[in-house]
Amino acid sequence: MKQKVLKTTLFIVLCLAGVVTVLPFVWMVLSSFKTNGEIESLEQSLIPLAPTLDNYLNLQSNFDFLRYFANSILIAVLVTVIVVYTSCICGYVLGKYQFKGKNLIFGIVMMTMMVPWSVTIIPRYTMFVKAGLLDSYLSLILPVMFSGFGIFMMKQNMEGIPDELIEAARLDGANEFQIFHQLVFPLCKNGISAIAIFQFLWVWEDYLWPYLMMDSENKQLLAVGLTLFNGRYSTDYGGLFAATAISILPVIIVYVIFQKRFIAGVAAGAVKG
Amino acid sequence: MFKRRPLQSKSEVWMRNIVMGILVVYMAVFLIIPVIMVIAGSFHQWNPLNETYNWIGIENYVRMFSYPTFWQSMLNTVIFCVFVVFFRVTIGLAVAYALNSKMTRFKTFFRTVFYMPTVTPLVAVAYVWKIMYNPQFGLIDKIFGLDINWLFDSKFALPALMLMTVWKDFGYAVILFLSGLLSLPADCYESASLDGADAWQTFRYITLPLLKPTMLFVVVTSIISYLQAYVPVLVMTKGGPGTSTYLSSYLVYDQAFKQYNFGYASAISLFILVLTAAFTVISFKVTGNKDE
Repeated sequence: MKQKVLKTTLFIVLCLAGVVTVLPFVWMVLSSFKTNGEIESLEQSLIPLAPTLDNYLNLQSNFDFLRYFANSILIAVLVTVIVVYTSCICGYVLGKYQFKGKNLIFGIVMMTMMVPWSVTIIPRYTMFVKAGLLDSYLSLILPVMFSGFGIFMMKQNMEGIPDELIEAARLDGANEFQIFHQLVFPLCKNGISAIAIFQFLWVWEDYLWPYLMMDSENKQLLAVGLTLFNGRYSTDYGGLFAATAISILPVIIVYVIFQKRFIAGVAAGAVKG
Repeated sequence: MFKRRPLQSKSEVWMRNIVMGILVVYMAVFLIIPVIMVIAGSFHQWNPLNETYNWIGIENYVRMFSYPTFWQSMLNTVIFCVFVVFFRVTIGLAVAYALNSKMTRFKTFFRTVFYMPTVTPLVAVAYVWKIMYNPQFGLIDKIFGLDINWLFDSKFALPALMLMTVWKDFGYAVILFLSGLLSLPADCYESASLDGADAWQTFRYITLPLLKPTMLFVVVTSIISYLQAYVPVLVMTKGGPGTSTYLSSYLVYDQAFKQYNFGYASAISLFILVLTAAFTVISFKVTGNKDE
Protein backbone atom coordinates (compact mmCIF):
# COMPACT_ATOMS: atom_id res chain seq x y z
CA MET A 1 0.00 0.00 0.00
CA LYS A 2 2.68 2.44 1.05
CA GLN A 3 4.66 1.41 -2.03
CA LYS A 4 1.72 2.21 -4.26
CA VAL A 5 1.22 5.68 -2.77
CA LEU A 6 4.90 6.42 -3.16
CA LYS A 7 4.87 5.16 -6.71
CA THR A 8 1.94 7.37 -7.66
CA THR A 9 3.38 10.44 -5.92
CA LEU A 10 6.66 9.96 -7.73
CA PHE A 11 4.87 9.64 -11.02
CA ILE A 12 2.78 12.77 -10.43
CA VAL A 13 5.83 14.84 -9.42
CA LEU A 14 7.73 13.72 -12.52
CA CYS A 15 4.71 14.47 -14.71
CA LEU A 16 4.46 17.98 -13.23
CA ALA A 17 8.14 18.58 -13.88
CA GLY A 18 7.64 17.26 -17.39
CA VAL A 19 4.75 19.63 -18.03
CA VAL A 20 6.81 22.60 -16.83
CA THR A 21 9.59 21.50 -19.16
CA VAL A 22 7.51 21.24 -22.31
CA LEU A 23 4.98 23.99 -21.60
CA PRO A 24 7.03 26.80 -23.22
CA PHE A 25 7.37 24.74 -26.40
CA VAL A 26 3.70 23.83 -26.47
CA TRP A 27 2.72 27.43 -25.83
CA MET A 28 5.04 28.60 -28.61
CA VAL A 29 3.67 26.16 -31.18
CA LEU A 30 0.02 26.75 -30.28
CA SER A 31 0.48 30.53 -30.21
CA SER A 32 2.05 30.47 -33.64
CA PHE A 33 -1.39 29.52 -34.97
CA LYS A 34 -3.12 32.42 -33.21
CA THR A 35 -3.84 35.85 -34.63
CA ASN A 36 -1.98 38.77 -33.08
CA GLY A 37 -5.26 39.99 -31.65
CA GLU A 38 -5.75 36.72 -29.83
CA ILE A 39 -2.17 36.58 -28.58
CA GLU A 40 -2.44 40.04 -27.06
CA SER A 41 -5.96 39.74 -25.70
CA LEU A 42 -6.50 39.75 -21.96
CA GLU A 43 -8.59 36.59 -22.01
CA GLN A 44 -6.19 33.81 -22.89
CA SER A 45 -6.61 30.20 -23.80
CA LEU A 46 -3.86 27.77 -24.56
CA ILE A 47 -5.61 26.34 -27.62
CA PRO A 48 -6.05 28.81 -30.50
CA LEU A 49 -9.72 29.81 -30.81
CA ALA A 50 -9.48 30.67 -34.49
CA PRO A 51 -6.49 28.70 -35.77
CA THR A 52 -4.73 30.32 -38.69
CA LEU A 53 -1.66 29.71 -40.81
CA ASP A 54 -1.23 33.42 -41.53
CA ASN A 55 1.77 33.81 -39.24
CA TYR A 56 3.73 31.29 -41.24
CA LEU A 57 2.56 32.60 -44.60
CA ASN A 58 3.19 36.26 -43.75
CA LEU A 59 6.55 35.38 -42.29
CA GLN A 60 7.68 34.04 -45.61
CA SER A 61 6.32 36.90 -47.68
CA ASN A 62 7.72 39.65 -45.42
CA PHE A 63 10.94 38.00 -44.60
CA ASP A 64 12.80 35.28 -46.45
CA PHE A 65 12.90 32.88 -43.56
CA LEU A 66 13.30 29.73 -45.63
CA ARG A 67 16.48 31.23 -47.03
CA TYR A 68 17.97 31.56 -43.53
CA PHE A 69 16.82 28.08 -42.77
CA ALA A 70 18.55 26.71 -45.88
CA ASN A 71 21.73 28.73 -45.18
CA SER A 72 21.85 27.41 -41.62
CA ILE A 73 21.39 23.81 -42.77
CA LEU A 74 24.11 24.21 -45.39
CA ILE A 75 26.69 25.67 -43.02
CA ALA A 76 25.78 23.36 -40.14
CA VAL A 77 26.06 20.24 -42.32
CA LEU A 78 29.34 21.37 -43.89
CA VAL A 79 30.94 22.23 -40.57
CA THR A 80 29.65 19.03 -38.97
CA VAL A 81 31.11 16.85 -41.72
CA ILE A 82 34.46 18.63 -41.50
CA VAL A 83 34.60 18.46 -37.72
CA VAL A 84 33.69 14.77 -37.62
CA TYR A 85 36.46 14.00 -40.08
CA THR A 86 39.16 16.13 -38.41
CA SER A 87 38.17 14.87 -34.96
CA CYS A 88 38.43 11.26 -36.06
CA ILE A 89 41.75 11.57 -37.81
CA CYS A 90 43.33 13.63 -35.01
CA GLY A 91 41.80 11.28 -32.46
CA TYR A 92 43.30 8.32 -34.32
CA VAL A 93 46.81 9.77 -34.38
CA LEU A 94 46.64 11.00 -30.77
CA GLY A 95 44.97 7.85 -29.50
CA LYS A 96 46.90 5.17 -31.34
CA TYR A 97 50.39 6.53 -32.02
CA GLN A 98 53.21 7.05 -29.57
CA PHE A 99 55.51 9.95 -30.34
CA LYS A 100 57.35 12.81 -28.74
CA GLY A 101 55.27 15.91 -28.14
CA LYS A 102 51.99 14.02 -28.22
CA ASN A 103 51.02 15.04 -24.72
CA LEU A 104 51.92 18.66 -25.38
CA ILE A 105 49.72 18.77 -28.49
CA PHE A 106 46.87 17.05 -26.67
CA GLY A 107 47.28 19.47 -23.77
CA ILE A 108 46.89 22.44 -26.11
CA VAL A 109 43.84 20.78 -27.70
CA MET A 110 42.31 20.51 -24.23
CA MET A 111 43.12 24.16 -23.59
CA THR A 112 41.03 25.18 -26.60
CA MET A 113 37.99 23.96 -24.72
CA MET A 114 38.82 26.19 -21.78
CA VAL A 115 39.38 29.50 -23.57
CA PRO A 116 36.15 31.55 -23.47
CA TRP A 117 34.67 32.84 -26.72
CA SER A 118 35.14 36.38 -25.50
CA VAL A 119 38.93 36.00 -25.58
CA THR A 120 39.28 34.66 -29.12
CA ILE A 121 36.50 36.57 -30.82
CA ILE A 122 38.19 39.99 -30.74
CA PRO A 123 41.47 38.95 -32.43
CA ARG A 124 39.63 36.56 -34.72
CA TYR A 125 37.38 39.37 -35.86
CA THR A 126 40.43 41.55 -36.53
CA MET A 127 42.16 38.75 -38.45
CA PHE A 128 39.16 37.94 -40.62
CA VAL A 129 38.45 41.58 -41.44
CA LYS A 130 42.11 42.07 -42.42
CA ALA A 131 42.03 38.91 -44.54
CA GLY A 132 39.02 40.26 -46.42
CA LEU A 133 36.81 37.37 -45.41
CA LEU A 134 33.86 39.49 -44.32
CA ASP A 135 30.62 38.30 -45.84
CA SER A 136 32.16 35.04 -47.03
CA TYR A 137 31.04 31.65 -45.79
CA LEU A 138 34.71 30.77 -45.39
CA SER A 139 34.70 32.97 -42.30
CA LEU A 140 31.99 30.80 -40.75
CA ILE A 141 33.77 27.53 -41.56
CA LEU A 142 37.48 28.23 -41.04
CA PRO A 143 37.44 28.98 -37.30
CA VAL A 144 35.51 25.82 -36.40
CA MET A 145 37.21 23.19 -38.55
CA PHE A 146 38.87 21.52 -35.58
CA SER A 147 37.05 20.98 -32.31
CA GLY A 148 38.80 20.38 -29.00
CA PHE A 149 35.74 18.57 -27.72
CA GLY A 150 35.60 16.40 -30.85
CA ILE A 151 39.28 15.46 -30.77
CA PHE A 152 39.01 14.65 -27.06
CA MET A 153 35.93 12.45 -27.61
CA MET A 154 37.46 10.63 -30.57
CA LYS A 155 40.78 10.06 -28.82
CA GLN A 156 38.83 8.27 -26.08
CA ASN A 157 36.93 6.30 -28.72
CA MET A 158 40.05 5.32 -30.65
CA GLU A 159 41.80 4.10 -27.54
CA GLY A 160 38.98 1.58 -27.19
CA ILE A 161 39.78 -0.02 -30.55
CA PRO A 162 42.03 -3.09 -30.06
CA ASP A 163 45.60 -2.62 -31.28
CA GLU A 164 45.58 -6.15 -32.69
CA LEU A 165 42.96 -5.20 -35.24
CA ILE A 166 45.08 -2.39 -36.62
CA GLU A 167 48.24 -4.50 -36.41
CA ALA A 168 46.55 -7.26 -38.45
CA ALA A 169 45.64 -4.78 -41.16
CA ARG A 170 49.21 -3.49 -41.19
CA LEU A 171 50.52 -7.03 -41.66
CA ASP A 172 48.12 -7.42 -44.58
CA GLY A 173 49.97 -4.57 -46.19
CA ALA A 174 47.42 -1.78 -45.74
CA ASN A 175 48.89 1.69 -45.32
CA GLU A 176 47.77 4.02 -42.55
CA PHE A 177 45.45 6.07 -44.73
CA GLN A 178 43.63 2.92 -45.82
CA ILE A 179 43.50 1.64 -42.26
CA PHE A 180 42.00 4.87 -41.01
CA HIS A 181 39.43 5.30 -43.77
CA GLN A 182 38.37 1.71 -44.27
CA LEU A 183 38.84 0.09 -40.88
CA VAL A 184 38.93 2.59 -38.03
CA PHE A 185 36.52 5.27 -39.26
CA PRO A 186 33.53 2.92 -39.59
CA LEU A 187 34.22 1.51 -36.12
CA CYS A 188 33.58 4.85 -34.40
CA LYS A 189 29.87 5.24 -35.14
CA ASN A 190 28.89 6.09 -31.56
CA GLY A 191 31.51 8.75 -31.04
CA ILE A 192 30.81 10.17 -34.48
CA SER A 193 27.09 10.50 -33.86
CA ALA A 194 27.66 12.22 -30.52
CA ILE A 195 30.02 14.75 -32.09
CA ALA A 196 27.83 15.23 -35.14
CA ILE A 197 24.77 16.02 -33.07
CA PHE A 198 26.54 18.51 -30.80
CA GLN A 199 28.45 20.20 -33.56
CA PHE A 200 25.30 20.63 -35.61
CA LEU A 201 23.54 22.18 -32.64
CA TRP A 202 26.41 24.54 -31.89
CA VAL A 203 26.49 25.87 -35.44
CA TRP A 204 22.70 26.05 -35.49
CA GLU A 205 22.55 28.23 -32.39
CA ASP A 206 25.71 30.29 -32.89
CA TYR A 207 24.73 33.91 -33.00
CA LEU A 208 27.50 36.44 -32.54
CA TRP A 209 30.07 35.20 -35.05
CA PRO A 210 27.72 35.01 -38.08
CA TYR A 211 26.23 38.32 -36.98
CA LEU A 212 29.68 39.94 -37.06
CA MET A 213 30.88 38.28 -40.26
CA MET A 214 27.95 38.27 -42.66
CA ASP A 215 26.90 41.60 -44.14
CA SER A 216 24.49 40.56 -46.87
CA GLU A 217 21.14 39.79 -45.41
CA ASN A 218 20.42 36.94 -47.80
CA LYS A 219 23.51 35.06 -46.63
CA GLN A 220 22.64 35.31 -42.96
CA LEU A 221 21.95 32.32 -40.70
CA LEU A 222 18.79 31.47 -38.80
CA ALA A 223 19.77 32.64 -35.30
CA VAL A 224 20.70 36.07 -36.64
CA GLY A 225 17.65 36.11 -38.89
CA LEU A 226 15.52 35.69 -35.80
CA THR A 227 16.97 38.83 -34.21
CA LEU A 228 16.69 40.75 -37.51
CA PHE A 229 13.05 39.79 -37.65
CA ASN A 230 12.49 40.86 -34.07
CA GLY A 231 14.25 44.17 -34.66
CA ARG A 232 12.00 44.95 -37.60
CA TYR A 233 8.65 43.52 -36.59
CA SER A 234 8.95 43.70 -32.83
CA THR A 235 5.19 43.84 -32.29
CA ASP A 236 4.35 40.99 -34.64
CA TYR A 237 4.23 38.38 -31.90
CA GLY A 238 2.50 35.82 -34.08
CA GLY A 239 5.30 36.11 -36.61
CA LEU A 240 7.91 35.79 -33.91
CA PHE A 241 6.22 32.66 -32.56
CA ALA A 242 6.20 31.18 -36.05
CA ALA A 243 9.84 32.13 -36.60
CA THR A 244 11.02 30.63 -33.32
CA ALA A 245 8.93 27.51 -33.92
CA ILE A 246 10.69 27.06 -37.27
CA SER A 247 14.10 27.35 -35.64
CA ILE A 248 13.34 25.12 -32.65
CA LEU A 249 11.14 22.31 -33.99
CA PRO A 250 13.63 20.73 -36.44
CA VAL A 251 16.13 20.41 -33.61
CA ILE A 252 13.56 18.81 -31.34
CA ILE A 253 12.58 16.33 -34.06
CA VAL A 254 16.20 15.37 -34.72
CA TYR A 255 16.73 15.08 -30.98
CA VAL A 256 13.74 12.84 -30.38
CA ILE A 257 14.87 10.52 -33.19
CA PHE A 258 18.44 10.27 -31.94
CA GLN A 259 17.83 10.83 -28.23
CA LYS A 260 19.49 7.57 -27.15
CA ARG A 261 22.79 8.40 -28.83
CA PHE A 262 22.54 12.00 -27.65
CA ILE A 263 22.20 11.05 -24.02
CA ALA A 264 24.80 8.30 -24.19
CA GLY A 265 27.16 10.84 -25.75
CA VAL A 266 26.67 13.39 -22.96
CA ALA A 267 27.07 10.80 -20.25
CA ALA A 268 30.19 9.30 -21.84
CA GLY A 269 31.85 12.69 -22.26
CA ALA A 270 31.24 13.58 -18.63
CA VAL A 271 32.22 10.31 -17.00
CA LYS A 272 35.56 10.30 -18.76
CA GLY A 273 36.10 14.06 -18.54
CA MET B 1 48.34 1.23 -20.17
CA PHE B 2 49.21 0.95 -23.83
CA LYS B 3 52.16 -0.80 -25.27
CA ARG B 4 54.88 1.69 -26.05
CA ARG B 5 55.43 1.12 -29.68
CA PRO B 6 57.50 3.45 -31.87
CA LEU B 7 56.14 4.38 -35.28
CA GLN B 8 57.35 1.74 -37.66
CA SER B 9 56.30 2.15 -41.23
CA LYS B 10 56.81 5.12 -43.49
CA SER B 11 53.09 5.55 -43.85
CA GLU B 12 52.67 5.93 -40.08
CA VAL B 13 55.26 8.68 -40.04
CA TRP B 14 53.56 10.39 -42.96
CA MET B 15 50.17 10.10 -41.34
CA ARG B 16 51.44 11.59 -38.10
CA ASN B 17 53.36 14.40 -39.78
CA ILE B 18 50.49 15.49 -42.00
CA VAL B 19 47.73 15.31 -39.40
CA MET B 20 49.66 16.76 -36.48
CA GLY B 21 51.28 19.36 -38.76
CA ILE B 22 47.92 20.69 -39.88
CA LEU B 23 46.56 20.56 -36.32
CA VAL B 24 49.51 22.47 -34.87
CA VAL B 25 49.38 25.15 -37.56
CA TYR B 26 45.64 25.45 -37.09
CA MET B 27 45.90 25.83 -33.32
CA ALA B 28 48.70 28.35 -33.68
CA VAL B 29 46.59 30.49 -36.02
CA PHE B 30 43.26 30.18 -34.27
CA LEU B 31 44.27 29.85 -30.62
CA ILE B 32 47.81 30.83 -29.75
CA ILE B 33 48.16 33.90 -31.96
CA PRO B 34 44.72 35.22 -30.92
CA VAL B 35 45.56 34.85 -27.24
CA ILE B 36 48.84 36.73 -27.78
CA MET B 37 46.93 39.40 -29.71
CA VAL B 38 44.45 39.81 -26.87
CA ILE B 39 47.19 40.11 -24.28
CA ALA B 40 48.99 42.70 -26.40
CA GLY B 41 45.73 44.43 -27.24
CA SER B 42 44.77 44.82 -23.61
CA PHE B 43 47.70 47.26 -23.23
CA HIS B 44 46.55 49.37 -26.15
CA GLN B 45 43.85 51.81 -26.98
CA TRP B 46 42.45 49.71 -29.80
CA ASN B 47 39.59 50.65 -32.08
CA PRO B 48 39.31 48.75 -35.38
CA LEU B 49 36.87 51.25 -36.89
CA ASN B 50 39.28 54.20 -36.97
CA GLU B 51 42.36 51.95 -36.84
CA THR B 52 43.70 53.27 -33.53
CA TYR B 53 46.23 51.04 -31.85
CA ASN B 54 48.15 53.12 -29.29
CA TRP B 55 50.17 51.81 -26.36
CA ILE B 56 48.61 52.95 -23.10
CA GLY B 57 50.20 50.55 -20.62
CA ILE B 58 47.93 49.23 -17.92
CA GLU B 59 45.32 51.95 -18.32
CA ASN B 60 42.67 49.49 -19.57
CA TYR B 61 43.13 47.45 -16.41
CA VAL B 62 43.03 50.52 -14.19
CA ARG B 63 39.86 51.60 -15.93
CA MET B 64 38.37 48.14 -15.64
CA PHE B 65 38.90 47.92 -11.87
CA SER B 66 37.57 51.43 -11.31
CA TYR B 67 34.54 51.03 -13.57
CA PRO B 68 31.33 50.50 -11.58
CA THR B 69 29.64 48.59 -14.42
CA PHE B 70 32.49 46.07 -14.38
CA TRP B 71 31.97 45.38 -10.69
CA GLN B 72 28.21 45.36 -11.19
CA SER B 73 28.64 42.78 -13.96
CA MET B 74 30.91 40.65 -11.78
CA LEU B 75 28.43 40.84 -8.91
CA ASN B 76 25.58 39.90 -11.28
CA THR B 77 27.65 37.02 -12.63
CA VAL B 78 28.35 35.74 -9.12
CA ILE B 79 24.66 35.98 -8.14
CA PHE B 80 23.68 34.35 -11.43
CA CYS B 81 26.18 31.51 -10.96
CA VAL B 82 25.31 30.84 -7.32
CA PHE B 83 21.56 30.65 -7.82
CA VAL B 84 21.51 28.90 -11.19
CA VAL B 85 24.11 26.34 -10.14
CA PHE B 86 22.31 25.72 -6.85
CA PHE B 87 18.94 25.09 -8.50
CA ARG B 88 20.44 23.23 -11.42
CA VAL B 89 22.20 20.84 -9.04
CA THR B 90 19.27 20.48 -6.61
CA ILE B 91 16.58 19.97 -9.23
CA GLY B 92 18.89 17.88 -11.40
CA LEU B 93 19.78 15.58 -8.52
CA ALA B 94 16.20 15.28 -7.27
CA VAL B 95 14.84 14.43 -10.71
CA ALA B 96 17.70 12.01 -11.41
CA TYR B 97 17.09 10.32 -8.06
CA ALA B 98 13.40 9.96 -8.84
CA LEU B 99 14.17 8.62 -12.31
CA ASN B 100 16.66 6.15 -10.90
CA SER B 101 14.15 4.72 -8.44
CA LYS B 102 12.96 1.21 -9.20
CA MET B 103 9.40 2.41 -8.83
CA THR B 104 9.49 4.87 -11.70
CA ARG B 105 7.87 3.93 -14.97
CA PHE B 106 8.47 5.50 -18.41
CA LYS B 107 12.08 6.35 -17.54
CA THR B 108 13.22 6.84 -21.12
CA PHE B 109 10.27 9.06 -21.87
CA PHE B 110 10.92 11.35 -18.91
CA ARG B 111 14.64 11.44 -19.62
CA THR B 112 13.93 12.53 -23.18
CA VAL B 113 11.56 15.25 -22.01
CA PHE B 114 13.84 16.71 -19.34
CA TYR B 115 16.81 16.91 -21.65
CA MET B 116 14.83 18.59 -24.41
CA PRO B 117 15.39 22.26 -23.44
CA THR B 118 19.14 21.68 -23.34
CA VAL B 119 19.32 20.77 -27.01
CA THR B 120 17.20 23.65 -28.32
CA PRO B 121 18.89 26.77 -29.72
CA LEU B 122 19.32 29.39 -27.02
CA VAL B 123 18.55 32.44 -29.17
CA ALA B 124 15.14 31.07 -30.12
CA VAL B 125 14.37 29.88 -26.60
CA ALA B 126 15.28 33.29 -25.19
CA TYR B 127 12.73 34.92 -27.53
CA VAL B 128 10.02 32.54 -26.38
CA TRP B 129 10.80 33.34 -22.75
CA LYS B 130 10.89 37.05 -23.50
CA ILE B 131 7.26 36.80 -24.58
CA MET B 132 6.49 34.55 -21.62
CA TYR B 133 7.62 37.38 -19.35
CA ASN B 134 5.41 39.94 -21.10
CA PRO B 135 3.33 41.67 -18.41
CA GLN B 136 0.17 41.95 -20.54
CA PHE B 137 -0.21 38.52 -22.03
CA GLY B 138 2.84 36.51 -20.96
CA LEU B 139 2.34 32.95 -19.81
CA ILE B 140 4.05 33.37 -16.44
CA ASP B 141 2.00 36.27 -15.09
CA LYS B 142 -1.18 34.65 -16.46
CA ILE B 143 -0.58 31.28 -14.83
CA PHE B 144 0.41 32.61 -11.43
CA GLY B 145 -1.95 35.57 -11.52
CA LEU B 146 0.96 37.97 -11.01
CA ASP B 147 1.38 41.49 -12.22
CA ILE B 148 5.13 41.75 -12.60
CA ASN B 149 6.92 43.43 -15.46
CA TRP B 150 9.75 40.92 -15.20
CA LEU B 151 12.25 42.21 -17.71
CA PHE B 152 11.76 45.92 -17.03
CA ASP B 153 11.94 45.84 -13.26
CA SER B 154 15.49 45.89 -11.91
CA LYS B 155 14.43 43.66 -8.99
CA PHE B 156 13.09 40.92 -11.26
CA ALA B 157 15.10 41.09 -14.47
CA LEU B 158 18.10 39.09 -13.27
CA PRO B 159 15.95 36.45 -11.51
CA ALA B 160 13.96 36.17 -14.75
CA LEU B 161 17.13 35.35 -16.67
CA MET B 162 18.15 32.89 -13.97
CA LEU B 163 14.78 31.13 -14.06
CA MET B 164 15.03 30.66 -17.81
CA THR B 165 18.57 29.34 -17.52
CA VAL B 166 17.62 26.83 -14.82
CA TRP B 167 14.75 25.64 -16.99
CA LYS B 168 17.03 25.28 -20.01
CA ASP B 169 19.97 23.61 -18.28
CA PHE B 170 18.66 21.38 -15.50
CA GLY B 171 18.23 18.45 -17.91
CA TYR B 172 21.96 18.28 -18.48
CA ALA B 173 22.47 17.84 -14.73
CA VAL B 174 19.75 15.16 -14.71
CA ILE B 175 21.61 13.13 -17.35
CA LEU B 176 24.94 13.47 -15.56
CA PHE B 177 23.55 12.58 -12.13
CA LEU B 178 21.64 9.69 -13.63
CA SER B 179 24.78 8.18 -15.13
CA GLY B 180 26.54 8.88 -11.82
CA LEU B 181 23.79 7.06 -9.90
CA LEU B 182 23.89 4.10 -12.28
CA SER B 183 27.61 3.66 -11.72
CA LEU B 184 27.32 3.49 -7.91
CA PRO B 185 28.22 0.11 -6.38
CA ALA B 186 25.16 -1.90 -5.35
CA ASP B 187 26.79 -3.54 -2.32
CA CYS B 188 26.88 -0.24 -0.36
CA TYR B 189 23.11 -0.13 -0.59
CA GLU B 190 22.72 -3.72 0.46
CA SER B 191 24.77 -3.24 3.61
CA ALA B 192 22.93 0.02 4.34
CA SER B 193 19.55 -1.67 4.17
CA LEU B 194 20.90 -4.53 6.33
CA ASP B 195 21.91 -1.94 8.89
CA GLY B 196 18.36 -0.61 8.80
CA ALA B 197 19.05 2.78 7.23
CA ASP B 198 15.92 4.56 5.97
CA ALA B 199 15.66 6.17 2.56
CA TRP B 200 16.83 9.60 3.68
CA GLN B 201 19.81 8.22 5.62
CA THR B 202 20.82 6.12 2.64
CA PHE B 203 20.67 9.18 0.41
CA ARG B 204 22.43 11.48 2.87
CA TYR B 205 25.25 9.18 4.00
CA ILE B 206 25.79 6.93 1.00
CA THR B 207 24.50 8.34 -2.28
CA LEU B 208 25.52 11.96 -1.73
CA PRO B 209 29.16 11.32 -0.77
CA LEU B 210 29.55 8.83 -3.63
CA LEU B 211 28.15 11.36 -6.09
CA LYS B 212 30.63 14.04 -5.06
CA PRO B 213 32.78 13.76 -8.22
CA THR B 214 29.73 14.11 -10.49
CA MET B 215 28.50 17.01 -8.37
CA LEU B 216 31.81 18.84 -8.66
CA PHE B 217 31.92 18.20 -12.38
CA VAL B 218 28.46 19.72 -12.81
CA VAL B 219 29.29 22.69 -10.59
CA VAL B 220 32.60 23.51 -12.26
CA THR B 221 31.40 23.11 -15.86
CA SER B 222 28.30 25.16 -15.02
CA ILE B 223 30.34 28.01 -13.59
CA ILE B 224 32.67 27.99 -16.59
CA SER B 225 29.77 28.11 -19.02
CA TYR B 226 27.89 30.82 -17.08
CA LEU B 227 31.02 32.97 -17.08
CA GLN B 228 30.50 32.97 -20.85
CA ALA B 229 26.74 33.55 -20.92
CA TYR B 230 25.57 36.50 -22.99
CA VAL B 231 22.75 35.37 -25.31
CA PRO B 232 19.87 35.62 -22.80
CA VAL B 233 21.02 39.12 -21.84
CA LEU B 234 21.36 40.17 -25.46
CA VAL B 235 17.93 38.90 -26.46
CA MET B 236 15.91 39.62 -23.35
CA THR B 237 17.23 42.70 -21.54
CA LYS B 238 20.26 44.24 -23.31
CA GLY B 239 21.80 44.52 -19.84
CA GLY B 240 18.98 46.67 -18.49
CA PRO B 241 17.09 48.03 -16.76
CA GLY B 242 20.09 50.17 -15.89
CA THR B 243 22.97 47.78 -15.50
CA SER B 244 21.02 45.27 -13.45
CA THR B 245 21.46 42.36 -15.85
CA TYR B 246 24.96 42.99 -17.18
CA LEU B 247 26.86 39.70 -17.02
CA SER B 248 30.64 39.74 -17.47
CA SER B 249 30.64 38.22 -20.96
CA TYR B 250 27.85 40.53 -22.08
CA LEU B 251 30.04 43.42 -20.96
CA VAL B 252 32.78 42.14 -23.29
CA TYR B 253 30.27 41.96 -26.15
CA ASP B 254 29.00 45.43 -25.32
CA GLN B 255 32.45 47.02 -25.09
CA ALA B 256 33.88 45.18 -28.10
CA PHE B 257 31.08 45.20 -30.64
CA LYS B 258 28.87 48.08 -29.55
CA GLN B 259 31.48 50.61 -28.40
CA TYR B 260 34.43 49.13 -30.33
CA ASN B 261 36.75 49.52 -27.33
CA PHE B 262 38.72 46.43 -28.32
CA GLY B 263 41.60 47.07 -25.91
CA TYR B 264 39.33 47.52 -22.95
CA ALA B 265 37.20 44.53 -23.93
CA SER B 266 40.40 42.47 -24.23
CA ALA B 267 41.31 43.31 -20.66
CA ILE B 268 37.89 42.21 -19.40
CA SER B 269 37.97 39.02 -21.45
CA LEU B 270 41.39 38.15 -20.04
CA PHE B 271 39.98 38.59 -16.56
CA ILE B 272 37.27 36.05 -17.49
CA LEU B 273 39.97 33.74 -18.88
CA VAL B 274 41.86 33.88 -15.58
CA LEU B 275 38.68 33.01 -13.66
CA THR B 276 37.94 30.15 -16.06
CA ALA B 277 41.48 28.85 -15.73
CA ALA B 278 41.19 28.96 -11.95
CA PHE B 279 38.00 26.89 -12.01
CA THR B 280 39.51 24.45 -14.50
CA VAL B 281 42.55 23.92 -12.27
CA ILE B 282 40.20 23.28 -9.36
CA SER B 283 38.27 20.73 -11.39
CA PHE B 284 41.47 18.94 -12.45
CA LYS B 285 42.62 18.86 -8.83
CA VAL B 286 39.30 17.36 -7.82
CA THR B 287 39.30 14.70 -10.54
CA GLY B 288 42.93 14.00 -9.69
CA ASN B 289 42.06 13.34 -6.04
CA LYS B 290 39.45 10.86 -7.11
CA ASP B 291 42.10 8.68 -8.76
CA GLU B 292 44.42 8.58 -5.77
